[in-house]
Amino acid sequence: MMNRQSSSWGRLVVLSLVGLYFLLPLVATGVFSFWEGGDRYGLRAYVSLVHQDELWESLWLSLRLALETIVVTLVILVPAVFWMHLKAKSFKPLFDFVSILPFVVPPIALVAGLTALYTGPAWFVGTSNFLIVPYVILALPYTYRALDVGMSSLDLKTLTEASQSLGGGWGTLFFRVLIPNLTSALAGAALLTIAIVMGEFTFANVLLFNTFAVYINYIGQTSATEAAALTLLSFLMTWLAMLGVLVTGRGQATLGGAR
Amino acid sequence: MSSLIIDKVAKQFAGRTVLNDISLTLAPGEFLSLLGPSGCGKTTLLRIIAGFERADQGSVRLGDLDIGQLPANRRNIGMVFQAYSLFPNMTATENVRFGLRVRKVNVTEQQRRAAEMLELVGLAEHAGKYPHQLSGGQQQRVALARALAIQPALLLLDEPLSALDAQVRVQLREEIRRIQRETGITTVFVTHDQEEALSISDRVAVMYQGDLVQVGAPAEIYQDPAHDFVARFIGVSSVLAGQVVDSENGTILVNRMRLPASNARGIGRDENVQVYLRPEHVQLSVLNGTPQPEHTLVGTVQERVFLGATTRLTVQLDNGERLLADIPTGQIAELDIGCRVHAGWDLDAARVLVDRAS
Repeated sequence: MMNRQSSSWGRLVVLSLVGLYFLLPLVATGVFSFWEGGDRYGLRAYVSLVHQDELWESLWLSLRLALETIVVTLVILVPAVFWMHLKAKSFKPLFDFVSILPFVVPPIALVAGLTALYTGPAWFVGTSNFLIVPYVILALPYTYRALDVGMSSLDLKTLTEASQSLGGGWGTLFFRVLIPNLTSALAGAALLTIAIVMGEFTFANVLLFNTFAVYINYIGQTSATEAAALTLLSFLMTWLAMLGVLVTGRGQATLGGAR
Repeated sequence: MSSLIIDKVAKQFAGRTVLNDISLTLAPGEFLSLLGPSGCGKTTLLRIIAGFERADQGSVRLGDLDIGQLPANRRNIGMVFQAYSLFPNMTATENVRFGLRVRKVNVTEQQRRAAEMLELVGLAEHAGKYPHQLSGGQQQRVALARALAIQPALLLLDEPLSALDAQVRVQLREEIRRIQRETGITTVFVTHDQEEALSISDRVAVMYQGDLVQVGAPAEIYQDPAHDFVARFIGVSSVLAGQVVDSENGTILVNRMRLPASNARGIGRDENVQVYLRPEHVQLSVLNGTPQPEHTLVGTVQERVFLGATTRLTVQLDNGERLLADIPTGQIAELDIGCRVHAGWDLDAARVLVDRAS
C-alpha cells in the first residue's frame, strides 16, 4: 500500500516538473507579450500586430501553401500507400525508409539540392509555389505514417474485392469506400501538414519568401513584445492542429470488429 | 439462373501448380461445394471464377458468356467473403444498396430491393446499424443480402461461416441453403468443413493438391469414394491392406482371408489395394469359443469412446491393423476393453481402391 502511494506521488512530481518545463516559458512569453514598458500591461502588442498587413499576407501565404501541400501530398501518397498495402507489401520497408529520409537530410542540403534540380518553369520555381516541393518532403514522415496506420486498420484486399464484386471500379472504390473510411487518417495527415508548414522557417528564409515563420523571425528582430505575442498565436495554431489530430484519430474506422 | 462451365483451368504460382486442368460444370440453380483441405486450390479456383485471379490456361463460361477476360466488376457475380467485408462507413442498408448505386438503379428501387434483401436474411430491424454494431453472423447475412441485391448470375461463397461460432455456423448454413433455394441462384460454396459441404450441397467437388478428385452428390461422395484421398478425408474410415486375387468376381485377400468385395472387380489381379471401412458398417461379436463366422477377422478391443447413441470401439486385429466399429451403445455390454472379438462388415459397403503407394 505504501509503495503504491509513494509511486503515485513520484509520478505526480515528475508530471508536475515536466508540466512546468513546458508551461513556464509559455507563461513567461505570454506575460511578456502584454508588457507595455515599466509596470504597464495591456494588449498593445496584439493590436499592433492585427494592423500589420504584412502579417496577414504572410499568414495567408503560409495557409495557402499548407493547403496546396496537403493536396499534393494526398494526391501522391494516398494511391501510393494504398497500392503498397494492396499489391506490394514487400515494399513496405522501402516506403518506411524513404519516409524518414527528411529526418536525416538537413533542410539546408535539401533546399540546395532542390534549387539545383528544379530550374524551371519560372511560374513555378520563381514563385512561392516552389516551396510546396520541400514542404511535401518535409511533411512526408508524418503524412505517410498517418496514412499507413489508417490503411493498416482496414482489410483493403477484402474491401477492394467486395467493391469490385459489386460492380465498382477504381473510382468507386476510392471515393465511396477508401476515402470515407480514411477520414481520420486524412484529417490527421492534413493537420500535421498545416502544423509543419506554419512553422517552417529554413526553406522559406533561404528561398526569400515571406511566410508566417519568416515574419515571426522578422518581428522578433524589431519588436520583442510583438514577437512574443506572435509566437503565442503561432503556438496556439499548432496546438489546435495537434488537438485536431488527437480528436480525429479517435474516430478511425475498423473493418469487421463484430459486436 | 445461369450455368457455369469451367474448362481445363490451370494455374501456377511461382512455378508451383495450384490448379491442374480443372473442368467442372454447374447446372443453372445448382448448389455446389468445393471441398478440400487448406492449400488444395479451392479458393484459387473461386477467385479465378470471380475475376480476382487470372487462369494460366482454360476458360470460364457463365451462361453463354466467356468471362475469362472480363474484369471482376463486369462479371455480375455476387460474392461473400471469409473475412468480414462490409464497408465500415455504411449502414446495413447502405451496404446492400452499394451494388445498386454502382449500377445506377433509381433510388426508390434501391430502397425497395435493399429492404427486400434484408428481410430475406432476417435483418430488417437492423437496417440502420453500422457493421461494428452487428454480430459476426449478422454481418455475414448482410454481406449475403448485399451480394444477392445485384441479382447476380452466380453466387460465390468463400468460407463465409469459418469465422463464426459453431451454433451460428449451423444456423446460417441452413439459412444460406434456404435462401439459395428461394432465389434459385447458381452457387459455388468453398469450405474445408465436410459436414458443411455434405449437408447443404446438391453436389460436392472434392479437391486435393490442385486436382479435382471427385465430383458427386453428398451421399455418393460419402458412400462411394473414388479416390483414396476422398475416402480418408470424408468421414471416418478404417483402412486395411489387401490384394486382389480374383479380378473378375471381385475377391480380395485381407489378413490372409479371402473376402468377396464387389467393387474390387476390374482391378488387376495381384494388385495391392486398400480396403476402406466406415465404422457404422463394422460388426463385432465376442469370441467365446464359437466357430469363427465367415468373412470375419479376429482382434482385441483396445478402446471405447462414448458418442451418445453409439460407442466407437477400436479393435486391434491380430495382424496389427486397427479397425473402428460404431456399435449401438445399448449393445456393448460384453465388449469390454481387452475382449477378443470377431470383426465382420457389410461386404458391399467396403470400398476397395488401388494402393497408390505400392
